[in-house]
Amino acid sequence: MAGSYLGTRLNALRKAQNLDGGWPYFAGKQSWLEPTLYAALALHGEPEADMAWALVSSWQQKDGGWRPSAEVGFPHATTALAVTVAAARGEFGSPFQNGVHWLLSAVGAEAQLYRRAILAVGSAFGLVEDQRDYSLKGWPWKLDTASWVEPTSHALVALKKAAPKIPSKDLRERVRLGEEMLLNVRCTDGGWNYGNRTARGDELVSYPETTGIALVGLQGHAELGPVLDLAGKMLRETASPMARAWLTIAMQVNGIFVEPKDTKVSADVLITALEALGATDGNHALLKVAA
Amino acid sequence: MKLKRRDFFTMAGTVGLAGYAAWDTHKAAPPKRPGTSAVAVMKAASYTVDLAGKITAGIRACGLEVRGQRVLLKPNLVEFDPNTCINTNVAVIAAAYEAFLKLGAADVQIGEGPGHRRDTIALAELARYRGELEKFDSIFVDLNRDDVSPVMNFSDRDRIYLPNTALRADLVVSLAKMKTHHWAGATLSMKNFFGLVPGAVYGWPKNELHQVGIPESIVELTRIFHRSFAIVDGIMGMEGNGPIQGTPKQAGVLVMGSDLPAVDATCCRIMGIDPNKVEYLQMASEKLGITEEARIEQRGEKLAGLRTDFQLVKQFSGLRLA
Repeated sequence: MAGSYLGTRLNALRKAQNLDGGWPYFAGKQSWLEPTLYAALALHGEPEADMAWALVSSWQQKDGGWRPSAEVGFPHATTALAVTVAAARGEFGSPFQNGVHWLLSAVGAEAQLYRRAILAVGSAFGLVEDQRDYSLKGWPWKLDTASWVEPTSHALVALKKAAPKIPSKDLRERVRLGEEMLLNVRCTDGGWNYGNRTARGDELVSYPETTGIALVGLQGHAELGPVLDLAGKMLRETASPMARAWLTIAMQVNGIFVEPKDTKVSADVLITALEALGATDGNHALLKVAA
Repeated sequence: MKLKRRDFFTMAGTVGLAGYAAWDTHKAAPPKRPGTSAVAVMKAASYTVDLAGKITAGIRACGLEVRGQRVLLKPNLVEFDPNTCINTNVAVIAAAYEAFLKLGAADVQIGEGPGHRRDTIALAELARYRGELEKFDSIFVDLNRDDVSPVMNFSDRDRIYLPNTALRADLVVSLAKMKTHHWAGATLSMKNFFGLVPGAVYGWPKNELHQVGIPESIVELTRIFHRSFAIVDGIMGMEGNGPIQGTPKQAGVLVMGSDLPAVDATCCRIMGIDPNKVEYLQMASEKLGITEEARIEQRGEKLAGLRTDFQLVKQFSGLRLA
């Protein structure tokens, strides 16, 4: 195990852990919530993950959302990952409950009533043309900004994991709308970019990394077959280690076995954690949701 | 004519602002800044000429002193498409790196935080930055995921978080690409500062800047990073539906200076765009720099004869310079 694909990555993660229990994006820097949570998932069940959870718990705010780092003073999309990690740890107490409620209240700025009213008036006068359906609520990176693919995808995983513990109608409806939103912003080539299909009328292309992330959020959804074929093609062709890691995780959680390409361990802690999660013997099942 | 959603909000905002300006007449024109600003324009027909020599000459012509300073080069690395020219060419970055070291800078780093793509290093590899810049791994900083500090007051927000590498630099050099931009009209040295805003805080894309307002954010970032210098790669720019889906357009120039609004106004004139009609340049004019042609001291090449009209998307056709 120590010299295996997974073992080398887990060892690198152990070495990169900060004294506060968190992980930085790059060794020697400040701890951030995102790499900390992925590293904690990769090392799930080990003392390093418990240390990380102690730090993560201290970053939850009164409103239930999590700040992205000690320095940043507002709640962030990474809250979804914290809820997913809490579920993976079997911790369903108030931090988990409050995190779920924050996710249920968070919505992209485009769904705000006054903005939709302005758009409706514009449409009525034939002044607005937009392909996106703004009735489909997704999640933003930061409150009061628009919703995008990545935060929506992570929120879907978190809420699907929370569903058995919080069987509310609101939760099921947000999951439905979130999935519809992802399908609504899918690029013509079949994959996803950050969340825009066109710009000034020209079609935009999808990216491998966001296609992988969207497929994790949509896992279990019908009609994913052709997209999984596209993901397989992207996986063979992409030069991005981060994209390879996300596509590998996406394939694994959607029931397709993938043997990750053995490459040198990255200096990028986030990529190392994602690669460890996607390893055949890695903890990708912690991102899997019940069908 | 149908408008996109963003145009509709822009139009509604413009109507509101026009009404406010008419009512609040004493805010109409800021006082003039004293003096003039130097902008150096260097002809460069291709990326194979002596770019380090031209950049060194441009820096000297603008009177910039960099000895002992920590310099951050901020290229425009957005996305990669082998069929067009979205990003600052690697030859310009390599030349600027060489020039600043030669002029005595204590330390030169390169940093960027792309707005759409999460794997910055993979993008830098596609753009040949990693392969062609010596010591890339030790001098490049992914500004999207750098450590951050708060800076108080950013337009109507009480603070903005910005990367420490940029905040701690003595000089931030905007190594921009000369491009049209489908939301801002043109993207040059000032707009290039969007890449200083960390994705780890504001996401991919950095929609917070659009919520604040694109022109307002451009001006605010230029105000915060006032210890700056601009080098705009107009050797091969982009016209049409920029900054990503446009088509290559050769202007054959490097445009440089310490007054970023003056540099961008000069670039606009070269591109056949009226800088007085570009909203962020209107807002920055006199407050942050000089955009008036008569008060920009042209060093290097004369502007006459350099104008090459960049194609504009129809929403910005009104920006064309008379």
